[in-house]
Amino acid sequence: MSDLDDLPPPPDAAGVSLDGTAVFTITADENAELCRSTGVEPADDGTAHPIYYYVATQVAMGVTVAGLCEACAFDVEDGPMMASSGVRFDAPLRVGESYRVTGEILSLVRKRSRKLGVMDLMTYRLRLHLLDGTQILETDNVWVLPRKEFAA
Amino acid sequence: MTRYAVGDALPPFTIEDVSSRAMKQWAVFLADPNPIHLDVEAVKAKGLGDRVINQGPINVAYVMNMLLRAFPRGRIETMDSRFLDNVYAGDRAIVNGKIVAIEGNRITCEFALEVDGRATVNSGTATVEI
Repeated sequence: MSDLDDLPPPPDAAGVSLDGTAVFTITADENAELCRSTGVEPADDGTAHPIYYYVATQVAMGVTVAGLCEACAFDVEDGPMMASSGVRFDAPLRVGESYRVTGEILSLVRKRSRKLGVMDLMTYRLRLHLLDGTQILETDNVWVLPRKEFAA
Repeated sequence: MTRYAVGDALPPFTIEDVSSRAMKQWAVFLADPNPIHLDVEAVKAKGLGDRVINQGPINVAYVMNMLLRAFPRGRIETMDSRFLDNVYAGDRAIVNGKIVAIEGNRITCEFALEVDGRATVNSGTATVEI
């Protein structure tokens, strides 16, 4: 018997589409501001800071952060936390380039943690494409959604 | 051309004073106005401490900065990060890394972001094409 048997299953969020409709353009001004906010100058070869893998996919996916949580029946005010983030680049991100996002929630798994109590682990995948459809990167993120309603 | 070897330590990247101003900028970059990054009172109300908390992607950006300084003109191909603890405004944070594998022009590194006075707050691996 699992120690989760006394709990309801997590919402069935796997497969929810995160395809975006917005176009995300990396501007020179914002790239410079972002680079300097992390302690470096922007590159002089036209490439953008690679952390735009996260920024662009989050901003241009089909839902807001609150909406992503809502798809998992989780209130963003309850404090989602990042557990991990992975990225595989097919090409560098470039200043002045425009991108679109596709993606989906891969899984929502309920667990019990000594530190956090009952929580759901949400894994979602986003892909960044040029406007002609060429894929530039794929990223998988895992968030912890603490389920305070199940606190002992 | 610089020669690299497995076991080489990479030059650290240090953030002397994690900036609350940067967190406000990143709330705009990320289109995510989560108050734990902006308002000390919100952090206190959630029992998470008494300083605003750095957005997780900023911590990943610090690691990327370390890698790109270690491998000028290199290109990060893959990167996997685990978020182990929070980074707070005012923290002094250091990214350390070392080479764990070399295959042709691809170098795989382990990295750790550490904060003075606390344990590792972010760690993982990355592969850089040089």
